[in-house]
Amino acid sequence: MRGVTQLSGSFETYFTQQGDPDYLIEARRKAMRSYESLDIPRFEKSDLTHRNLAAFKIEAAAAGNTWQAIADPYLAQDGQSSVLVIADGQVVLKRGLEQVEANGAVFTNLRSAAVSHRKLVEKHLGTAVSYDENQLISLQTALWRDGAFIYVPSGVTLTEPLQLICVTTASGHGSFPRNLIIAEASSAVTLYDAYLAAETITDELHVGVTEVVVGPDAHVVVGSVQDFPKAATTILSRRANVGKNGRMDWVFGELSEGFTVADFGSVLQGDGSKSTSHAIAVGIGRAHIDMTARMIHIGRFSESDTMARGVMQGRSNGVYRGFTQIHKGASGSDGQQTEKLLMLSPQSRADAIPMLLIDENDVKCGHAASVGQISEDQLFYLMSRGISERDAKAMIVWGFLQPVLAEISIERMREAVTSMLERKMA
Amino acid sequence: MTGVPELKISGLRVSIDGKEILKGVDLHVRGGEVHAIMGPNGTGKSTLASALMGHPKYTVTDGSVMLDGQDVLAMHVDERARAGLFLAMQYPSEVTGVSNANFMRMALNARRGEGQEVPVLKFHRDLQNKMKALSMDPEFAQRYLNEGFSGGEKKRNEILQMSVLEPRIAILDEIDSGLDIDALRIVAEGVNAQKRPEFGLLMITHYQRLLQYIQPDYVHVMMQGRIVRSGGRELAEELEAKGYDWLKAELGIADETVSATV
Repeated sequence: MRGVTQLSGSFETYFTQQGDPDYLIEARRKAMRSYESLDIPRFEKSDLTHRNLAAFKIEAAAAGNTWQAIADPYLAQDGQSSVLVIADGQVVLKRGLEQVEANGAVFTNLRSAAVSHRKLVEKHLGTAVSYDENQLISLQTALWRDGAFIYVPSGVTLTEPLQLICVTTASGHGSFPRNLIIAEASSAVTLYDAYLAAETITDELHVGVTEVVVGPDAHVVVGSVQDFPKAATTILSRRANVGKNGRMDWVFGELSEGFTVADFGSVLQGDGSKSTSHAIAVGIGRAHIDMTARMIHIGRFSESDTMARGVMQGRSNGVYRGFTQIHKGASGSDGQQTEKLLMLSPQSRADAIPMLLIDENDVKCGHAASVGQISEDQLFYLMSRGISERDAKAMIVWGFLQPVLAEISIERMREAVTSMLERKMA
Repeated sequence: MTGVPELKISGLRVSIDGKEILKGVDLHVRGGEVHAIMGPNGTGKSTLASALMGHPKYTVTDGSVMLDGQDVLAMHVDERARAGLFLAMQYPSEVTGVSNANFMRMALNARRGEGQEVPVLKFHRDLQNKMKALSMDPEFAQRYLNEGFSGGEKKRNEILQMSVLEPRIAILDEIDSGLDIDALRIVAEGVNAQKRPEFGLLMITHYQRLLQYIQPDYVHVMMQGRIVRSGGRELAEELEAKGYDWLKAELGIADETVSATV
């Protein structure tokens, strides 16, 4: 395995010097052993064998100040949101974090929370996304640098969304953002996170993990966008464990031009728990985007609803899987999924793969999947009113993405995503 | 473009997938006139409507279509619309994520041209007034284009677009199908309100019912992909009274559909 041997000895020293507590070092050590013993993950429609999975180092790059220009369009206006910015694995901006503390909640970086909120981190880290889920998740668990830690105590509702922006400016160091969100009973919180990189990045391995613990009657929203350039290989795992009558909503915009395999969704543990996901993928150039929205029903009367829209241009390739699993005993559950992919060029490819695994009789499940081109009749209809072909196509594509865009409630973030889409679809 | 519009169709032949549907259609529509094309199903009426607007499925193999002296067949679909042609469709498409109002404003601005855009507030005020005239709920302005509209709502929305865009020549393709009497009356009032010397109308229908509400000046009967008889209002009344069979007998046509002649 490339580069593994020389890592083993040095990485413990590095993280100890960085101030990690013992339990974390131990968790990293275990994950590193797993990384060394596992093979490269084999994904059905995403062949990693030709990707440079050694494009990382143990040490983070020194964060310069080029992150500012990249993060700026996404940053909520002053005072509007609490903001955490991490560049090349290090915290470079914390703003308005104290306003959440007034309620007894915590919004800080995970590295510092590992010390300051040791019990919470030790208890929950790695519970939603297991360190040995695949080889690259093992690597991430061993080498993660920083990310957001959010804790919302029982009964507390944070009305203003929190914002996390992670920027990669240096090539070849690897990007390993890791987030942990803990929402206690009857609490509510929304996080908007963006993962961005400089256009100049050459080789980069990017493995991201987000874990969410949704307590009984709690409600968590995570809205993420990602834009990495073509030399990046991205593996993502984002998962929530949802308690009784809890609710988890995922919004996900994948706009990377590189190679991306993203797996996100919820384990509906509690009776009456609920989860939705709304995802957009826009592929340009030779982008490869492989997304799985995964909903696991364990609790009775649990509900999931996933919706995905993808637009593939150029020579891009999109794979969208809706994965709904209903365990025995999850009676009265309802799992719905819709996948719609639009191919705008003859060389683009798209697959929509609905998967339903059902081990219980008394359930409702539904899926709708479609892959196609812009409908000739729709185009004719708009053009017959005097709208040019170019404008008509743009209207159809924007309209197609609108149901997902509408889910982003921070105006500045919605605008940033919209202008990013405009650029990608020009 | 001002003055009285003129649409001149000469010897129009149209095929779909290599099969000829229209076999030489001649028709002359001027501003201020109301023409009705009638005929049983499958005789080529809707093909004429779609081909005039330039639907890509239809290939014009011969003949000419001139609007105010301009060659319509040389224009793209959007250019035809901007030249003043309008087609109210039998099955309007649904477009998700695009609001009815934004769509119509874009269409109107495209028709008016750059620098002539209608002020946003004025547009919305006019739109609401026009919707009111068609008994449409104001919320339809913000609904996604035709999405979840009933058949009757879609037809009203077509007429609303016509009144917003103020075309020079409008073609209504079976605007009466799927409408109950009350809706038909409202739609017909909306159409009648458009009548003026700068507006010519071509209605396609196979029911005489519509013509009681929108009175035609000229009635044409289409069979086997051609106009086989033209006349005044009295022709529609004759068809109403006697059906199509007498005409078929008179013309020696056994099967009036296009397929019969292939």
